[in-house]
Amino acid sequence: MKPSLSSLYQSVELCQDIPPLLIGERCNSNGSKRFRELLLADDFDGCLKVALEQESAGAHVLDLCSAYAGRDESRDLTTLVRMFAKSVKLPLMIDSTTPECIEQCLRLYPGRCIVNSINLEDGGVNIRRICRMVKRHGAAVVALTINESGMAMTTDDKVATAKAIYDIAVGEFGLRPSDILFDPLTFTVGAGDESLRDAAVQTLDAIRRIKSELPGVMTVLGVSNISFGLSRQSRRVLNSVFLHQAVEAGLDAAIVDTAKVLPLARISEDDRRVCLDLLYDRSDAGAEQGPLMRFIDHFSTAATDGDDDAESADHGVPQEQLATKVLDGDKDGLEDVLSILLQRHPPLAIINQILVPAMRHVGELFGRGELLLPFVLQSAEVMKAAVDFLEPLMEKADADSSTKILLATVQGDVHDIGKNLVEIILSNNGYTVYNLGIKVPAEVIVEKACELRVDMVGLSGLLVKSAIVMKESMVQYRDAGLGVPILLGGAALTRKFVAEECVPDYDHPVVYCADAFAGLKAVREHEEGVLQSTAYEAAAAVRRMKPGAKNAEVLRTNPVPETPFLGARHVVDIDPAKLFPLVNRQALFRGRWGYRRAKMSAEEYADLIRNTVQPIYDGLVKRAVDERLVQPKVAYGYFPCYSQGDTVVIEHDGREFEFRFPRQTEPPHLCIADYFRTRDEGGDIAGFFVATIGRAIGEETHRLYDTDQYHDYLMLHGFSVEVTDALAEYWHEVMREELGIAADKPEGLTGYVTQEYQGSRYGFGYPACPDLDAHVPVFRLLEPDLIGVTLTENMEMVPEQSTSAIVAHHPQAKYFAV
Amino acid sequence: MRHICANCGYIYDPEEGDPLNDIPPGTEFDDLPEEWVCPLCYAEKEMFDPLD
Repeated sequence: MKPSLSSLYQSVELCQDIPPLLIGERCNSNGSKRFRELLLADDFDGCLKVALEQESAGAHVLDLCSAYAGRDESRDLTTLVRMFAKSVKLPLMIDSTTPECIEQCLRLYPGRCIVNSINLEDGGVNIRRICRMVKRHGAAVVALTINESGMAMTTDDKVATAKAIYDIAVGEFGLRPSDILFDPLTFTVGAGDESLRDAAVQTLDAIRRIKSELPGVMTVLGVSNISFGLSRQSRRVLNSVFLHQAVEAGLDAAIVDTAKVLPLARISEDDRRVCLDLLYDRSDAGAEQGPLMRFIDHFSTAATDGDDDAESADHGVPQEQLATKVLDGDKDGLEDVLSILLQRHPPLAIINQILVPAMRHVGELFGRGELLLPFVLQSAEVMKAAVDFLEPLMEKADADSSTKILLATVQGDVHDIGKNLVEIILSNNGYTVYNLGIKVPAEVIVEKACELRVDMVGLSGLLVKSAIVMKESMVQYRDAGLGVPILLGGAALTRKFVAEECVPDYDHPVVYCADAFAGLKAVREHEEGVLQSTAYEAAAAVRRMKPGAKNAEVLRTNPVPETPFLGARHVVDIDPAKLFPLVNRQALFRGRWGYRRAKMSAEEYADLIRNTVQPIYDGLVKRAVDERLVQPKVAYGYFPCYSQGDTVVIEHDGREFEFRFPRQTEPPHLCIADYFRTRDEGGDIAGFFVATIGRAIGEETHRLYDTDQYHDYLMLHGFSVEVTDALAEYWHEVMREELGIAADKPEGLTGYVTQEYQGSRYGFGYPACPDLDAHVPVFRLLEPDLIGVTLTENMEMVPEQSTSAIVAHHPQAKYFAV
Repeated sequence: MRHICANCGYIYDPEEGDPLNDIPPGTEFDDLPEEWVCPLCYAEKEMFDPLD
């Protein structure tokens, strides 16, 4: 008589002619949102429907679990067992951790079922209780290879635990070997967790050895555990390939979603190869990436993630629930889900096997334009909250094992939004990040890097000067023996600059990272051992156009306006309400905040703006006014001057202040100095301003960052920058009016963007005058310290929400780049 | 189809082309060369969003 199970209606052999025995997993209150919701609504008929669907889909046996905190498991389970026994032809697997419930079900089940499960977690008490009742009722039983130290990870451990269970079940209680289905457990290879690279092999070898060293026993596996953290569509393929490998190794039964199992014949050669490489941790000779990245890339270029499968949306094992919360940026009920998971999983496993892959998935969706940056940050907030909850429960040693990255904004530079985004993304992908803040000298970076024993250093900076600082510090880092790869990021950098100016002077990889996700990729490549310095192919590179009129004769005879005064004045009572109409919302929403159109239709995007983004903006305007976060102040003035070649010479207080401006090397060879008359032509006047919206908003922004409110941090920071710009726009208009050249009024905001007015302002540090050393004379002329603005050692203004400019009135003056 | 620069708000209108970069009227955004940049702020093509 072959080992079999039975229901009221039929018997089912444990060893199927075409293995494996398929055990349907959907009637599980922990595993299926749909089933859980039916149960909570007391819709037992609905629960039965889920059972019958699986029967139609080809399951041989059905797993049944109805445990839910607050409900009477005994009543639910026995009700369902009675109903299923009558109406479902398939034998059942009673899935419960409560011995009393198991006993009740065994008593009323009219056939031979499987009990799920026994293990050695508590050293042997529970297993004996259950074996006793399994023997008495003649049932079969699933045995998990969990011992007192936890889940067995290696083949040796799995086999040893199985043998210990065998000795009790068979040796003490007289069960037959074929009454036991050993589940050697499997862990995900989809998390990028280094310690799990061979998880599949450990499981497959355990199946082989258990079948050979414990003759007559059965084996079972929860197949989908192999692919946690990967996209829904790729999981389906990997699960199916893994199942096939497991069956070849001797697996008898598998707990699956029967509707989702793919026969090997329906899986393409390419898909199969990528799956096998991942399962067996095989590197492709010549490929740059490891098997996991290749797997992810392969399936991400395939059909989209938008599996419009109603069922898949409700797949809710606690693991999936947690991953979904990260994906949705949803903190509701987070601690409940974590608590459930902690019953079975150590905190580090939850982080490495569920949270980190979920964040990685978020990053992939961002890379494909399917998730916008603000939503990425909301996901990161969930991640952070989860890790904060788990951290106190972790061993210190666990925390030390992740890759460590040191971040700093370089000497003289106060900008940190980009660097802080890198910290958010890296730390919420499981890495340890040390953020040294702004204006950090190279010596401090070396000192801290050694002290903290970091694996990588990331440098950031906005200014052109900062790029030079980075380049010059490469030799310093080499000579100091820093010894780790350096990542470089910041608006002033280019791939070319990094490749040609920075890479050669350092003895480890130097890598240009355009944004936080490029940084993340670099860290991963470093872990896989494939990180390389940035290279620049001059021939292949695209030579950007240089916009602008190609020939321009600058008129020398335009009139010089009369100024209302000469010298500097300070204005401190500017009404913030005057600024908001001038805020460039397009640049704010799309550029700063990252609400790009991406793959949305015009209508979808309009809805997003109307329902989500504009309200955020309106809320910030209100906050800014109510909490006095915007306190606009200006130091400005008009000064007699004359141009001399590339220099504008300001005359003030009996002294001369020189401003040397760069000249374009290509036609039309423009230079700011050209817009001012020479001494021979009669001299001219120049306007200057330094404007700020004050310190309060920057302080509040940093408070948001320090309290991990990433989304609001990004919003407020972007808002503060654009309001500062609006102030510059506003004050430039005031100056035009004072000079009497404001006849041309710009039409709408676009008019301001395209400079439909007379003259132009040129911000120091911007393309027409990149050298911030010009701030020295500006600060002498205007005394902006009286409005609370100071300079760093690299002439950058503090607070960040400040801006400066020289104002030219010449009708032909417009923005240009040198 | 008009496109807007996410960095500065400049709008590229195919009906106008972009004289500052010698782009004739009637040139669709997708047909702009890879080297094309925003005439106002020099942002690259990938910083542009379709507007309509």
